[in-house]
Amino acid sequence: MMTRVLQYIGQVVAYGGFIIFVGYLSAAPAYVHLQPGQAQIKLSFSHAGKPVSECRERSDEELARLAPNMRVRKVCPRERSGVAVVLEVDDKLLYSDILQPSGLKKDGTSTTYRKFTVKAGKYKIKIKLKDDFRKSTTIKDVSKLNAGDFNYTYSRKVYLGAGKIMVIDFNKEADGFVFSF
Amino acid sequence: MPGVDHEHKVLVDLLNRLYENLMRESTAEEVEEFLGEIYARISAHFALEENIMREQHYDQYSEHKADHERLLDEIRDIMDDHTAMENSDKDKFAERLKSWFVNHFKTQDARLHGRLS
Amino acid sequence: MLERTQRSGRRLFEWVEAGFNRIGGHRWNPFYQLGALSFFFFWIITVSGLYLYIFFRTGTTAAYESVEYLTIDQWYLGGVMRSLHRYASDAFVVTIVLHILREFFIGRYRYFRWFSWVTGVPLLWLTFAAGIGGYWLVWDSLAQYIAITTAEWLDWLPFLTDPIARNFLNQASMSDRFFSLLSFLHIAIPLFLLLGMWIHIQRMTLPRSNPTRILAVGTISALLVLSFILPATSQEPANLDNLVFTVNLDWFYLNFYPLLDKWSAGSIWALVFGVTLLLVVMPWLPPHKPEPVAVVDLENCNGCGRCFDDCPFGAVDMFPRTDNLPFSHEAVVDSALCASCGICVGSCPTATPFRRATALVPGIDMPQLKIADIRDKTVQAAEKLTGHDRVIVYGCRNGTDINRLQGSGVAVISLPCISALPPSFIDFVIARGHAEGVFLTGCQQGDCYYRLGIDWTEQRIAGLRDPALRKKVPRERVATCWSGPVGFARQKAELVSFRAQLLEMGPNRRNGAIINKTDTPDSKGG
Repeated sequence: MMTRVLQYIGQVVAYGGFIIFVGYLSAAPAYVHLQPGQAQIKLSFSHAGKPVSECRERSDEELARLAPNMRVRKVCPRERSGVAVVLEVDDKLLYSDILQPSGLKKDGTSTTYRKFTVKAGKYKIKIKLKDDFRKSTTIKDVSKLNAGDFNYTYSRKVYLGAGKIMVIDFNKEADGFVFSF
Repeated sequence: MPGVDHEHKVLVDLLNRLYENLMRESTAEEVEEFLGEIYARISAHFALEENIMREQHYDQYSEHKADHERLLDEIRDIMDDHTAMENSDKDKFAERLKSWFVNHFKTQDARLHGRLS
Repeated sequence: MLERTQRSGRRLFEWVEAGFNRIGGHRWNPFYQLGALSFFFFWIITVSGLYLYIFFRTGTTAAYESVEYLTIDQWYLGGVMRSLHRYASDAFVVTIVLHILREFFIGRYRYFRWFSWVTGVPLLWLTFAAGIGGYWLVWDSLAQYIAITTAEWLDWLPFLTDPIARNFLNQASMSDRFFSLLSFLHIAIPLFLLLGMWIHIQRMTLPRSNPTRILAVGTISALLVLSFILPATSQEPANLDNLVFTVNLDWFYLNFYPLLDKWSAGSIWALVFGVTLLLVVMPWLPPHKPEPVAVVDLENCNGCGRCFDDCPFGAVDMFPRTDNLPFSHEAVVDSALCASCGICVGSCPTATPFRRATALVPGIDMPQLKIADIRDKTVQAAEKLTGHDRVIVYGCRNGTDINRLQGSGVAVISLPCISALPPSFIDFVIARGHAEGVFLTGCQQGDCYYRLGIDWTEQRIAGLRDPALRKKVPRERVATCWSGPVGFARQKAELVSFRAQLLEMGPNRRNGAIINKTDTPDSKGG
């Protein structure tokens, strides 16, 4: 049987151990997520491609057949084009893909979110986008596209300091790519 | 309370049979059988009565319960005495047992019935 | 393989717990109160959190600033509250993990306990969601790291259209309203967690959701001391235009974040779902050996309700009578909840060995170890005992292996739980001279495998709970030793000294004559 004093000491040690365990692991050891001297390029956009075919006008007979509240002359296909994107850094291909539109009827936006961790420094960035694939197209592979097929192209030289993030977004209203950093 | 009444009848019946057995001079084992059965039935009976009293917030619960405990103790005494006793004490025995139970029924249980029925 | 792991784990816990018992006793031992401690930490988190909530401002810069105000300007109260909030949350994870491990090693998750185990699984998810959300609210560089990593991980799920990570692209993407959402979630998730905690303890009578006072005072004092000597602080303010290189992680909540850097999001999802699925199906994994449940005999049951009062798992309920007897109720056992512990049998007034063996069918009984069999074992074992210090030991199978105590003067009878023994048996053994003393032993006090067995036994002997041990039974001839599985040395020592005491007292007498078992009818083939 332990004496009272020894018991109290034991309890203090127990509480002390508990405090040390909780206190230490609550904020240590530090975790190194990225090595120093690095920067990042984030390519991310949410862009709806053009409709896969031309819109057409309804004839008068067709309109007459519809309910009065549905009589709109212009009818466009719901399905949207996929969005092809190619990202080249210093003339080397970093990323390319054809992004399918989201949604069951393929009428949503095409989205992407890609992160590229690079060493800090100067880079030549070239980015190309195509968003007007027609329904008739059979091209499934980005590499089959020619330079002229892309309807948006942008090239730029950037300096990425250590710890900087450069975001490449695409905004139809701004008529093209948006670089921010 | 039909359950309690029923048990009273069963217990009285058991006691009567015990009395008859004692009178007929059956073996010690047979008497032990009755005593054991009575003890178990009375324990269960008291447990049921106490449960009912608690549920109905009977005002004399502790007195009645104390009586139960006293009775159970005395029955155990009777059982132990029987194990060690001689034949001549048998009839005194049965009378003793019967009178206690009847007395309990007349006083405590009668009041209980009056209050709860 | 599973059983071997469980045995080793259980032994490790028992060894640690024995140490803790030595320094603080069973009422202080935190390992017997891991669930209750978890509840206690939850309350500390809630109260400190409410205080923080009063001062927290929802906004991309306001969030960080309001927390800094509490930490620095109001360091003596707000800062302490913040530290208490963080450290109690960490302690919450500690006790939860220990609780899960302990119940797993002891095997208290199978059969009827599946409900408690399975309802605990969503609580793990909610706890981590709440903790991660809490760190997110501060909007320092750690929060930035968490936000981006979590968003990228969540984006792997196929049903999301726009990637969540787009909300954290750069400083311009963030809005103040995001913090309103986070703040709301950080209250809603713990509320659901509390609801889940309540459900988690449903299938238990008298669940222990509060620790003993001594432990409560001790732990909150320890957390306060920690809060003063190591105040919780924020890291650099978040800036989505810049990278976060190094973070001081809270390894209790954020332990799997480094994994997200090394493995793909999909494999982490597989890991998390895999672990969740494994936890959920664990109660049904082999070996599957359920025990028979308690059985009611209506002829011997008058609906007195003692089994209903004593069952630690609410498996016995009183229902209106279904036979022709004029009693109002009968006991009914719910086989889905029955632990097969036999505590109900120990409480039944008709389960007394004074009834003859032929008629010994109690109102409720365990088929695998009937009362009549316990009586037979008692009488047969007693026949072989000699000496004025002969003892019958009744023990439970979750304590030591009591067979090791057997000897020429010691007989042992094992029960599922010590409280399965009706007190009448103690009276029977001593009054009829089957032994000079009765030694009751079982689990460690505070740690009855069936939760309430030791409490009920102690109260029955003290006359505080029915069925009470008859007052006239000499208590010097009844010994209890709550040793638990590792306490064999103490158990043996106490048995030896008990027997020495019996020798000193001399043989049991009635009206001066020694009670000798050869005089009782039981020995004549009874």
